[in-house]
Amino acid sequence: MASKFGLAGGIPERRVRPIWDAIDSRQFKNALKHCTTLLSKHPNSPYALALKALILERMGKADEALSISLNAKELLLSNDAVLIDDLTLSTLQIVFQRLDHLDMATSCYEYACGKFPNNLELMMGLFNCYVREYSFVKQQQIAIKMYKAVGEERFLLWAVCSIQLQVCCGNAGEKLLALAEGLIKKHIASHSLHEPEALIVYISLLEQQSKFGNALEILSGNLGSLIMIEGDRLRMQGKLLARAGDYAAAADIFEKVLQLSPDDWEYFLHYMGCLFDNESSMCMGTGGNPMGSTKSVECKNLKLPDEVFDSRISRASTFIHKLLVECNNDSIRCPYLANLEIERIKLVYGKVDADKLVEGLMQYFSRFGHLACFASDVELFLRVLDPRKKSEFLEKLLEGCDSTTDSPVKALGRSISVFKIQNSIDNMFTLSTGDLEGLAVQMVDMYCKSLPLSKDLDIQENMHGEELLSMTCNVLVQLFWRTRDIGYLLESVMILEFGLTVRRYIWQYKILLLHLYSFWGCLPVAHEWYKSLDVKNILLETVSHHILPQMLVSPLWSDLNDLLNDYLKFMDDHFRESADLTFLAYRHRNYSKVIEFVQFKERLQRSSQYLVAKIEAPILQLKQNAYSIQEEEGILEGLKCGNPFVELSNEIGNKSLTFNEDLELRPWWTPTFDKNYLLGPFEGVSYCPKESLIKQSEANVLKAIEKRSLIPRLIYLSIHCASSVKEHAEDNGSTSDPKLSLELKILLERYASILGFAFKDAVELVLGVSRSQKPLEVLSSDIVDWMNFVVFLNAWNQNSHEIGFSARETWNLVNCLLKKYILEKITSIGPLVSSPGSNLPVLVQLITEPVSWHSLVIQSCARTLVPSGKKKKKSGSADQNTNLQSHEIQDSIQSLCDIIGEVTKWVNVQIKEPDDKKFESIFSSLQRNEHSQGPGKIVFMLENFISSANDVQLGDRIFQALQQWSAADVARKILAGQRTLLSEFLRICEVKVKSLQALKVHL
Amino acid sequence: MTTMRRFCCNDLLRFTSVNLDHLTETFNMSFYMTYLARWPDYFHVAEAPGGRIMGYIMGKVEGQGESWHGHVTAVTVAPEYRRQQLAKKLMNLLEDISDKIDKAYFVDLFVRASNSPAIKMYGKLGYVIYRRVLRYYSGEEDGLDMRKALSRDVEKKSIIPLKRPVTPDELEYD
Repeated sequence: MASKFGLAGGIPERRVRPIWDAIDSRQFKNALKHCTTLLSKHPNSPYALALKALILERMGKADEALSISLNAKELLLSNDAVLIDDLTLSTLQIVFQRLDHLDMATSCYEYACGKFPNNLELMMGLFNCYVREYSFVKQQQIAIKMYKAVGEERFLLWAVCSIQLQVCCGNAGEKLLALAEGLIKKHIASHSLHEPEALIVYISLLEQQSKFGNALEILSGNLGSLIMIEGDRLRMQGKLLARAGDYAAAADIFEKVLQLSPDDWEYFLHYMGCLFDNESSMCMGTGGNPMGSTKSVECKNLKLPDEVFDSRISRASTFIHKLLVECNNDSIRCPYLANLEIERIKLVYGKVDADKLVEGLMQYFSRFGHLACFASDVELFLRVLDPRKKSEFLEKLLEGCDSTTDSPVKALGRSISVFKIQNSIDNMFTLSTGDLEGLAVQMVDMYCKSLPLSKDLDIQENMHGEELLSMTCNVLVQLFWRTRDIGYLLESVMILEFGLTVRRYIWQYKILLLHLYSFWGCLPVAHEWYKSLDVKNILLETVSHHILPQMLVSPLWSDLNDLLNDYLKFMDDHFRESADLTFLAYRHRNYSKVIEFVQFKERLQRSSQYLVAKIEAPILQLKQNAYSIQEEEGILEGLKCGNPFVELSNEIGNKSLTFNEDLELRPWWTPTFDKNYLLGPFEGVSYCPKESLIKQSEANVLKAIEKRSLIPRLIYLSIHCASSVKEHAEDNGSTSDPKLSLELKILLERYASILGFAFKDAVELVLGVSRSQKPLEVLSSDIVDWMNFVVFLNAWNQNSHEIGFSARETWNLVNCLLKKYILEKITSIGPLVSSPGSNLPVLVQLITEPVSWHSLVIQSCARTLVPSGKKKKKSGSADQNTNLQSHEIQDSIQSLCDIIGEVTKWVNVQIKEPDDKKFESIFSSLQRNEHSQGPGKIVFMLENFISSANDVQLGDRIFQALQQWSAADVARKILAGQRTLLSEFLRICEVKVKSLQALKVHL
Repeated sequence: MTTMRRFCCNDLLRFTSVNLDHLTETFNMSFYMTYLARWPDYFHVAEAPGGRIMGYIMGKVEGQGESWHGHVTAVTVAPEYRRQQLAKKLMNLLEDISDKIDKAYFVDLFVRASNSPAIKMYGKLGYVIYRRVLRYYSGEEDGLDMRKALSRDVEKKSIIPLKRPVTPDELEYD
């Protein structure tokens, strides 16, 4: 049955070759032609059919491809005479996989394996199918079969990995691990082990069962020699000893590790941990989770007698001293930093005062202060100093910085380190405005003076002192936060634009800028800078948070659509191909990667951002098409009437989501995606630790997903309930499905409860606000959600008598609340140009969400009252009702048109105001005088610097770049960005008004 | 201080500050994962205290007979950790594995002909320009194939420079 030599799927190779060539060169029509010829000669060849299916799938003809694949499958399974080989099956498998019918490929392989037992090729194919389906138990079973058939080590390990997967990614209990251990033991007895990865898996198995002694025995026996790098073996040994609780022996081993790799900070921490009988950081496993970010030895639970503490700390000191003597090398920093850690521990234990640590820090500074990583190296040690000692340290640094006789580059590096330390000890938030201004000036001055140092650098290389401008920006932003003087904000934008004119590659500036532009209503410019970061592939998961939240509430729909689509495509592609990569790891016998890959895929599948994008992409589609109920119904049908999203909302509470955004690179003023300090009054930022902020943001995301996932279904149900308005329904008997009405009620209750209210209370609250019995502010913080609630409530009330309000009353409720809040927003926003952090995004959301959904409800009612093509009837009591309703709907349309009209008017005023006037209003915020207080000094400095720059000193490239920068251009860029944003918003408003007016005419 | 360890999938979520650099390519997932699945010993990351990623190296081992060699696919260091010989440490690690574990004859790498800072750095690490590959980068820019002989190549035959440039289709490996 196997392919014979020169035959492919039973067909001579020479006949098949042209087809594959054409497929490979993407000439699918040509391939199809060859394939049709082939099929005329071999009409019942499953291989030829599989090829045809493959070609059709590539041509985008999924239905035809599936039907032909099923033909081929049928032939394979029913006709004993046809040839079954791996080539046919794997070709078919490719097609089924691309058509999302993995199960069909599996059943083909299952059949083939049943028919030809012990065929290794087919069994591997079947194993691969189970890998794709993540069927760990079946994987294990077939791997064992293969192992029994040929006795090879690799198949045994495939089975063992499958068992481990059942335990760590499936539901199996840990007892199963003993089975895996038994299998390996038996194999070792007869065949030993030959692959290092096999040994690693074996040891991890023992470790997972806490059999550390056994693992150590194996490692020090003959098999240990499979780990060829001595350092790796020692590391494993040390960790096992530590986990077994033999800290003394582990510490000895870790000393050996450090002698081999004196720069290994992580193992220094393990060493210290063992000296102090603390193994909390020890955890190995094959899951690809290295011990990671153990920050420092935590000694809180340590209760060692004094003399033991002293002797152990002195052992550590002596050992580190020895290391320092042996490797007197400035590129190895660990032993120097280790000294600081020893001093820190002594301080925490009250053995010494803080002076010793400060002294150690000063020594570290004198050796490594010029490095860009100095500040982050010592960050941990500064935390144990009290504010007074911190200031003392800073003073010493400032002295030490002045007295140095280093090279200019090193001196610059040290000065930057001092600025960074000043920043990290929160000194910045206590300085006076004048001092902060002075600091900014000092940093920009240093930047300008250091430019000649970069004269001969390639444009690709980082320039000396680049960090100075990021730090200046941070100071200026703080000045803005304190004083609300937009001059500082303008300067912070200008300084970064200046830096990017000098060298356009600096991503740190781009990230700061995109947040500043977003804050100032220049989202199009922010988005441009984001695009210049070239965020792609996995960075989409970790970096998108810089722009995505702003885009989600903006009118830049087309850009948002691209963002969401690119991201979702990346994630979905990965989910599709991940299993094949897992199989690759199996094939190449890198078993530890198998488990790592599966866990990583699961981590990405549980990504909160992925879920957000999954729900926001359809909501965007719904927003974009809300002008037409027909379009919207088509979309809703494609979304299975919103049902899958409701399921997502139901499940969210039980899911443990992952948050993979890299928040480290966010500016201090917006440490998480939903926090912006600049929106509130100046308070300093140290009052809220970042960790709790992140926790809060993560909780908010969960809530948001739960809530937003209900929207598509709420829209669907609203359209349906509104299409059978109650009086009308009673008259002509055409009721809508009562189940839908009931479901809408249940979802409304859920929606209200997510907002923190019982349904009844929520209804009372919105009524209270509409009747001015309650202040507008009570709904303000979640205003978009509340308005959505009101809109859906009205739709439901058209078909229900439950809350005792007439249809008219809830129509009025929606009209009244939308009007109140939207008008309130317009009056409070102020001119966009001089109101950074304005409420524009909320206004945009109100128009693009509740107003849109409400217009759909109106369209739905109108369609019921006046079905298209029919003329209005003009007699009878039913008509009286119809007229009444028609009147209400007309009122609502008018009300919406008026509201949107007000918005349009406001936007037009913003857009049409002459640029010169707007320019003057922001540009005049810069005093442009060296000596006056307030913003402007930095720009003044830069302009002076540019006018006095000389090309000999700076080199041609930098000199030319400087000439291109202009402060006025930056201000104009802000105006242009705002104009684009407003124009997009205006366009959306105009489309809405137009479609509503057309509807009104129709009524 | 630098902890060197095997690169793992989770590091893909933490290497942002390294990869935002415009010279560091962010490949698609199957590219990284193929390297992890096939040559995990050639993919290492350097970690700073607190777990920050300082830089990483990815590579592979391939070839037949005397052209069995280690290959550096990418090596990169975050701005914060530059100018402290980290790239050298990462390169040495890969060379060591090629030399001692896989007994390769040489290590090679490709670099843009215009990237003079990198060419200079590799030169310092003992790499010589073995040959020029015409229009190697997107059919536009020439690449330089640089090599360093390992202990198995006693006579250092593998690094004798070719006299003429080659075209990409003449390359033995992708």
